[in-house]
Order: sequence, then structure tokens, then C-alpha cells
Amino acid sequence: MHRRIPLATLACLSMFTLAACGGGEADPAAFPDDDITLVVPFAAGGPTDTVTRLIAEPMAEELGAEIIVQNVEGAGGTVAAGQVADADPDGYEVLIHHIGMSTAPGLYPDLAYDPLEDFKTVGLVTDVPMTIVARKDFEPETLEELATYVEENADTVTLANAGVGAASQLCGLLIEQQLGVDLTEVPYDGTGPALTDLVGGQVDFMCDQTTNTAAQIQSGDIKAYAVTTPEPIEALPDLPTTAEEGWSDVEVGVWHGLYVPSETPDEVVEKLTAALEVALQDQNVIDSMADLGTTPAPADDVTPDAHTAKLQEQIDLWTPIIEESGVTGG
Amino acid sequence: MSTDHTVVDGAGHRPAPFRPDLYAGAAFVVLGLAFAIGGSRYDVGSALRMGSGYVPLALGGLLVVLGLLVVAMGFRGGDPSIRDVQREPIPWRRGGLLVAAIMFFGFFVSGLGLGPTLFVTTFIAAMAGHGTSPLKAALTAAGITALCLVVFVALLQLRLPLLGDWLGG
Amino acid sequence: MDGILLGLETALQPTNILICLLGVTLGTAVGVLPGIGPTATVALLLPITFEFDPVASLIMLAGIYYGAQYGGSTTAILLNLPGESSSVVTALDGHQMARQGRAGPALATAALGSFFAGTVGTIVLALFAPPLAQLALKFGPADYFAIVVLGLIASIALASGSAVKALAMIVLGLLLGTIGQDQFTGVPRFTFGVRELYGGLDFVSLAVGLFGLAEIIRNLETKNSSSIVTKKVEGLWLSKDDFRRIRNPVLRGTALGSVLGVLPGGGHVLASFTSYSVEKNLSKEPKKFGTGVIEGVAAPESANNAAAQTSFIPLLSLGLPAHPVMALLVGAFIIQGITPGPNVINDEPELVWGLIASMWVGNLLLVALNLPLIGIWVKMLSVPYEVMFPAIIAFASIGCYSLGLNSWDVFAIAAAGVVGYFLIRWGCEAAPLLLGFVLGPLLEENLRRAMIISRGDPTVFLTRPISASLLILAALIIIIAVLPSVRRKREVVFQGEDD
Repeated sequence: MHRRIPLATLACLSMFTLAACGGGEADPAAFPDDDITLVVPFAAGGPTDTVTRLIAEPMAEELGAEIIVQNVEGAGGTVAAGQVADADPDGYEVLIHHIGMSTAPGLYPDLAYDPLEDFKTVGLVTDVPMTIVARKDFEPETLEELATYVEENADTVTLANAGVGAASQLCGLLIEQQLGVDLTEVPYDGTGPALTDLVGGQVDFMCDQTTNTAAQIQSGDIKAYAVTTPEPIEALPDLPTTAEEGWSDVEVGVWHGLYVPSETPDEVVEKLTAALEVALQDQNVIDSMADLGTTPAPADDVTPDAHTAKLQEQIDLWTPIIEESGVTGG
Repeated sequence: MSTDHTVVDGAGHRPAPFRPDLYAGAAFVVLGLAFAIGGSRYDVGSALRMGSGYVPLALGGLLVVLGLLVVAMGFRGGDPSIRDVQREPIPWRRGGLLVAAIMFFGFFVSGLGLGPTLFVTTFIAAMAGHGTSPLKAALTAAGITALCLVVFVALLQLRLPLLGDWLGG
Repeated sequence: MDGILLGLETALQPTNILICLLGVTLGTAVGVLPGIGPTATVALLLPITFEFDPVASLIMLAGIYYGAQYGGSTTAILLNLPGESSSVVTALDGHQMARQGRAGPALATAALGSFFAGTVGTIVLALFAPPLAQLALKFGPADYFAIVVLGLIASIALASGSAVKALAMIVLGLLLGTIGQDQFTGVPRFTFGVRELYGGLDFVSLAVGLFGLAEIIRNLETKNSSSIVTKKVEGLWLSKDDFRRIRNPVLRGTALGSVLGVLPGGGHVLASFTSYSVEKNLSKEPKKFGTGVIEGVAAPESANNAAAQTSFIPLLSLGLPAHPVMALLVGAFIIQGITPGPNVINDEPELVWGLIASMWVGNLLLVALNLPLIGIWVKMLSVPYEVMFPAIIAFASIGCYSLGLNSWDVFAIAAAGVVGYFLIRWGCEAAPLLLGFVLGPLLEENLRRAMIISRGDPTVFLTRPISASLLILAALIIIIAVLPSVRRKREVVFQGEDD
């Protein structure tokens, strides 16, 4: 989030392309007759970027147009969302965003766009489960023991997260709410460094996406207590769910969806939705997502309606939690 | 002799202050104060939970101290590494042209597109050269623009638009 | 060692050599553009590699990475335009050498030093990856803070002038590094409501302004230079004496880089300038550093390349990316259907060792590709200056703009150039500022993190053995560095009073 040497990148490719096609009025029936830019609000190589690149190829094939992935980092993903909100509403600039789309109104009081009003939803992509993990020599062995331990040692336990507004911080808020304690949070600049310090035993525990933690859990470098989805996940079948362990408040997934500016013609949105649906049935996408501990969104969720409902529900869920916690994105 | 260099004061035995050190020290003091004051407006916090302002306030204060040391150095004979270096007059007009060229690029590249923006930018920059006539500057600008377009657009396929939105490109 | 053999078998397949060559060539071609550093080049060319099968695609990426690094050093030496923090140090003496007609030896030193360091780095990677990875894990936030402090103190040596001014420039760099969103609280600092500044100032803009633009303005003070080169070009190759002079700096730089590269986050940044400081302090003529000494090119280039190699260790043995380029590689792995993690080296030995071996092959190809190019680069320097400097302005503007499509990055060049011009005029050098800027966020983050973890107890920096020894070393250096300059100043004052 606070990166000095911009990974930015395909930027040159994409924005200029847009400018090039921005002159004439686009014909929705002919969509797509030019390259499409898929804007990722986070760094290349991160989990969201990975999901994006996985689906970009089969989507491009289905649409018969090239899809260029552009990483626009900054301010918890709001810079990218702001850019797409202001883009030409012709479907040639598409945003992929995760749970952060629903937390931005709570985190950023002066947000330049409205997640519901300024975008049309295309469909949900995937809902990445999260895992509660700890350094391997941390005393508690189960979630129940963790609860007792944290209550008894509330002032020495450290909870790592990947920075303001990161999924790991949100999950941490839910854990604090569940346990009714205020823990010492240790923020990092992204998941990589946070996980490094967890593996190295510098911090006690954290909650992060399976995309990041699965490999280290399997190798035994960190220990896992639970997964935050209603159902156990395929990649880690022995791991109980938070609900099973009685932490029913801690149910959270990093859901991803595609967005276009609100004035985009429905015909164009339909084509994008259809392409997304095909991409999510691609065997390579299913396999790669399984490796990351997640699955493509079920067909029912790959619709604008299901996506809008999810967005609305999540905004209603997070806004009060964030306001109560006093966290701010600035 | 250099323009910034002050000759030894005749009245006493103390040398007059060395101006570049005074300027540099003053710049550090002003910048340090700016960051320190700016930092103190954010939440400074405590040592346990340092707020956003803690580090800027501390470092800003340190910079003020270092700036004062540099000023003191100016009063005590000056920085030996540059004291005897001859300084040419500041090229205000030429430097200004370069800054203008870069600012032009920043302001207009998205609107005018790469082609025209580059040409104007390099023309303004070229005019900063010694003895460069407008004609020569225009030729230089045309050549560099063509080269950049070949490199970035043709060879690297960056597909930069030659003309921007304002020109209907 | 079996692994390395398996790797070489993979890397030396004709198609893979060809792909590596393609990667190296593309990387050099893009990396040599002013304002586009290695990370940006890799990100820019990443999608091309998706066309290939996993092994080929990663080999190509490695080729691009090394090619870009070499291309970046070339621009730093020829035009004084560093594209990444590591080449800032190369520019210090490398560009001075170019101005004195010794661009050929400077470029050759960079190529040979990098190749040697890359070879050693590969061997270190093959033999010592697991223990070095454990070392990286031992580094907690307090230790990290200490090593950054040590690095910053050591960087005083980057300046050839006053130590106090160098220290002030470091602190100014640290302060500039605080601009942008505070990642602990999310509060935007010193952004004046400009959302484009939330991510902080752009390093490339700052470097291009402070180095490139400031120097152009300085050159325009006088009429006398008709091209960048001020003296007759002496030859393109290293003399016997040059070889003798670079031998030890290359060895020391390689050793230092191999160790520092393992540290996640900032290790590779620390490597190049720490090695420069070491050489300067060991040299019999430290005053000549910064005026175009070949040791000042050999050491940082070797350190940087050795670090580039060993920075793969946390990724390959722990699955944790050490810096942005590694993070890009993780993405590339995943897209190819491989989950990088602690087991990747056992699950995919052919791929991992093939990648390691091809990094070495890439370095070899790079030398073969670039040594013949040196003649062309040197010729390019004889372009008349009044054509050269507008071209630099044009390339730098496009380079900085294209990375983020952010006009503020372009404005930042102009601002940094003007500030840089005056600061240099007043005897304050830009290199310490840039390093402060790069390391500032690391310093602040780790300080705050360490204090949170220790519950506000500052003795944590002295009770942890790693942190304590690094801080003591830093204190010693500052005593050694500051004392003589204070003494010298006293002498000057006394002399003045004697008149």
C-alpha cells in the first residue's frame, strides 16, 4: 500500500489504448472490438492480481478480445476504483475488486465514488476463505484454547495484519469482537512481510487468506486453528470451521467481483457476465484456484443481481464494525 | 571569483560567513520545521503506539538541529569541500526552460497525446541550450520526438496514442 | 549439488538458452530506457512470459530481470539516470568515469563484476539456502530497525564532502519518505489532499530529478561542454591495472551482497551502498571516491548482483517473497499452476533448479551480449550536448509518466531537479538523500512495530543480540566519521584566527 518503486505497469499499455479508442462512440452491439483493460487495485503478484490473471485469459478467449491487466495501487484500492468510476462507460475498462469495495465507505469518509451508485456489477468471481493461523510454537493448540489464552494474556498477545483495510485486519476486528478483547495489532506492509514474521516467531497469530497461508500450513511452518467459511475447504480438509468451534461471528471470506461504470449499456454487461461465467468453468481456473485453497463462485453468484446483493449486505455489515473500531483509511 | 563567495571581512580577523552553508543550513531548518510542525498536527501518540506524527516530528527536529550545525559551519570558515570551488552564475533562464518543459509534459500529455506534447516539451528544453536557435531547436525536437515514437510506440509496442482526446485522436 | 546439475541440464537445452537470450535482450532493451528500472521492466514484460510453459516462462523472467538490471546500470553510468536504488550508487563513480572518457571500462566492470557475483551467488544459493533462510527468519522488527540505522550511517560515506551535510540529507530523505499514507493508521501525511500522493513520492522521479535534471542545469551554467564526455575516450576495455584494482572490491562486494540479499524487504537495497561505503573506508584514497574510481563501480555492482541471486532464497526455501520482483515471480509461479511454498523445491526440482541455473546462464549471456555493445554505447555519448539533454528530458518524462500514468510523478522530476540543483550547489549531495528516502519507510515501520511488540520498552533494541551488535557498530562508525571532520573544522578556524 505504501510502495515506493511502483510496480505499476502495464499501465502504459492500457491507459493509452483507452485514450486511443476514446474518440468515437462505442457501439454496444459490436462489443468488444478493441482491447479490454482489467484494472487490479493491488500489486502485481498479490492474491487479487493472481485471481485476475487466472480469469483474464479464458475471458479474453470467450470475448474474442485481448484483456490487459493493469495494476493501479494505492489507498486501499480506492485509487483504482475511482479511476474506473470515471472511465468511459463502454465496457473497455473493467475493475476487479475484493471485499475492500464494501469496506471503503466505512474506512474513507471522503470517498470520491459510491460503490453501489457509480458502478454496475458484473458478477462474483470467487470467495477466498481465510484461516486463523499462529506461529508454530504458540501455546494454544485449538481455537478454544486460543480464546482462553487470549483472554488471559490480552496485553501480551500480538495479532499481525497486512495493513489498514486489509482482509487480515478486517478478520482481526471480527476476532476481537468475538472475544470481546482489544488486542495489540501489529500492522505490516502486505501479507508477505507479516507472514515472514509469523513464520519467524516474531508475532503470535493472524488471520489471512488461504491463498497466502495454505503452503505454510501444509509444510508445518505455521499452525492453523480454523477456517472462516461455513464449510471446510478442500485444500485443508482437517481444519475445523470457526462456526464448528463456536466462533460464529468470525465468518469472512475475501470475495471478489467485477465492476464497470454505472452508465455502461446492459448489453455490454451481459457479454462480460457471460464471459466470466465461461471462464469460471475453465478446468485450469478451477485447478489453479484449488491450489490456492479456493473455488470459483457458483454459477448462481455469477450474476449482477447476486453480486449487488452481496455488495449491499457486506457494506451494511462492515460500515458499523469499522466505525466502532475507530479504524480509518484517511 | 564566484558570486556566492564572500571575501574575508576586513574589519576583524574573523572570516565572513560562507553563504552556501548559510543557505543550505537555512533550507534544512525551514524544511525540518515544516515537517515537524506538520507532523505535530497528526496524532503523535506514545512510544508504545507511535502515531502518524511521531516519526516526522522527531526527524524534523533532528533536521533543524543539523541545519543549525551547517549554519554554524558557515560561520566557522565554511565547508572545506566546496569553499574553494568556483561557482558559475545560476542559469535562471535555462533552468526555468527545462522546468517549464517538464511541467508542460505533465500537464498536457493526457490531453494532447504523446506526439504534440513531446514535440513542444523537447522544443522548450532544447531552447535552453547555449546558442540554440529556434530553428535548430525545432529540428532537434522533431528528431527526438520521432525517435521516442519509434522506440516507445513502434518497437516497444506501448501503443501510446499520438494524438490525445483534445485533438480527436 | 545434484540439484545444480539437474538445473544445468534444463537450462542448457537449446530452446531454453534461446528463451533466456530473448529475455536478457528484451530486459536490457527496456531497462536501458531512462526512468524504467528493473522492477518496472519485469512488471512490464511479465505478460509476455505467460505464453510459454512454466520452465521456459520462468527462465525468460529471470533473463528479463538480469537484463533489466544491467540495462539500468548502463543508463546510470552513461546518463547519470539511476532507475532503481541500487544503481544510484553505480552512478556516483560510473558516470564520472564516463565523463572522463572511461565509459568502456566502467561498463565492462559492471558486466564482469555482475557476472562473477552472479556465479558466486548461484553457488551460495545451491549450497546454503536452508541455513541462510533460517538466518532471515531470525531478523525481527528490532533487528531490522538496527540494520537500517547501520545502513544509513554507513551511507554518510557516499558523500565526498561534509559529513554533517550528508547526515542532514539522509534525514531529509527519511522525511520525504514519510509522505503518503501511513500504513499503521491509514492517515495520509503531507499529501495536501492530493490522492495521487497517497502512495508516496515516486523513487524514479526523485532520482531522475536529483541526478539527471539537476546535473543538466549544472552543465548549462557554462558553455564549454560540447558532449557529455569531457576528455578523450581512452579505450573500451579494462587495463591490467584496472583488473588489479577491481579484484578485491568485487570479492568483498560479492560476499556482502550474498549475505544481505537474504534479508527480506530491504536487503538488496542495503547491499550496493554498504559495499561502496566499505570500499571507501578501506581505500587508501577515500577522497577520490565520487570522482570516477573504478572500485566505486565494481563493488556495488557485484554486491547488487550477488544480492539479487540470494534474494531468491526466502522465496525458494520458505515461499516468502523478499522484494517486489520476487512478488511478481510468485504471481508468475501461480499463474503457471505452481504454488510457491516451502515444498516447491522438492515438488518441482526441475523447475526450481532450472530457474537457478538459468539465472547463471542469463548472466553469462548478458556478458556476451553487452561487451560488444559497449562500443556503441560509448559512441552514443559523443552526441552533441544540446541534442542530448532535450532527449534525456523527453525519455525521463515518458519513463516516469508511463509507470503510473500519474502527472504528479512528472511534476516531481521538476521539483526534485530544482531542489537538487541548489542543494548540490551548496555542497549537499543527492545520494544520501535518495537512500534515506528508500530506507525511510523501513526504518519507521520497524521502529513502530518493534515498539508495539515490546510493549513500548525501548531496551528491546539493546537486549536482542543482533540488534544490539548492529547498533554498536553504527555508533562506532558515526564516532569515526564525525570526529575527524569536527577536528578539521577546528583547525580551519584556528588557521583563520592566525592570519
